[in-house]
Amino acid sequence: MKKYKSIELLENLQADTRQLILTASYLQTMDPGLLLQEPARGKWSVIQVLEHLNSYGRYYLLAIERSLEKGKPACEFFKPGWLGDYFTRLMKPGENGAIVNKMRSPKDHRPSKYLDVLPVLTTFLEQQHYLLELLETAKSKNLGSTRTPISISRFIRLKLGDTFRFLIAHEQRHFVQIDNALGTILGTTNIFPATHLVM
Amino acid sequence: MDTIPLLQFLQAVHPLKEEEQEKFLSAWQPFECKRKTILTAAGETEKHLYFVLEGVQRAFYIGNEKQEATIVFTYAPSFSGVADSLLTQTPSRYFLETLTSSRFLRTTYKQLEHMMNEYPAIQRMVLNLTSFALKGVLERQIELQCFSAEEKFKSLLKRSPHVLQSIPHKYLASYLGIDATTFSKLLGSVRI
Repeated sequence: MKKYKSIELLENLQADTRQLILTASYLQTMDPGLLLQEPARGKWSVIQVLEHLNSYGRYYLLAIERSLEKGKPACEFFKPGWLGDYFTRLMKPGENGAIVNKMRSPKDHRPSKYLDVLPVLTTFLEQQHYLLELLETAKSKNLGSTRTPISISRFIRLKLGDTFRFLIAHEQRHFVQIDNALGTILGTTNIFPATHLVM
Repeated sequence: MDTIPLLQFLQAVHPLKEEEQEKFLSAWQPFECKRKTILTAAGETEKHLYFVLEGVQRAFYIGNEKQEATIVFTYAPSFSGVADSLLTQTPSRYFLETLTSSRFLRTTYKQLEHMMNEYPAIQRMVLNLTSFALKGVLERQIELQCFSAEEKFKSLLKRSPHVLQSIPHKYLASYLGIDATTFSKLLGSVRI
């Protein structure tokens, strides 16, 4: 298993989170009608995707906060757990943003069709800024010593470092979906001028 | 650690006495990152002051209709970071990213604040550097409001001719507040 320098891992995850903030900032400037449009029948609109991510954020950010409270002092290296690493790799989009393994979301994380653009976007951005703070706090904690239960089963618990990796990989995955949805709706590629899926 | 470029920079702009200089140089850590890394997002409060050893960085604001405005570029040897957010410790309105892979020295606001409290000479140095930065910003404000596209173009190339090689032209156009096509026309026609 690949070992990470804890501080580098956290700074890379912070940079990934900032990319998501940048893309969400572009979404904020777009016509709300586009963000509510289904790219095809039964496919999620951009806002539905964001609400799906918000529903995970509501669970994981709190769970991470609790883990951090119990956290031990920082350790120079972090070694992922095998399950945490597997989940992260499963989620993470490939180079150039390809998603090979499609999955269905669990029932209680399927977003309503009736959503308001502004609160969903605002919540998403607030959550990402909070995630940045949690990553900052984690710089003084051991990423391997405490474990966080995953949302679908409290019996499966991931190391703190893996919970961060998994959560952000899941967001990146859905940002590929957002990019594709807007590409379909607008009939163009390169929707966001300055964003890059740096994986 | 390689603090020599920072030392040389200081000696050129605002020399310090030995004790203060030693204290100041000891507060920096090396930091490097890939191209297109966002160092600070809009809404975050800047925690770091950077000194650029290698690479080019860009600060940009996202406006309506996906418009983005390039606010400033930084490159070696100079400081980087979202200066206003750092000094006021209030959220940044814009993003800071690396355009090329970059190497820096970096210190935190906390360390800087501590040094300024302890050493009045360091505080004076920060004030001096900030004052010249402010002068630069206001001069640029004049150019943005009063200069024609051609005058802005000439003024930029007179001040920083190397940017034509190191920075993509679409960002230079955005920095001057002119169209990318106008920029390339000027590039073809203006004699510098």
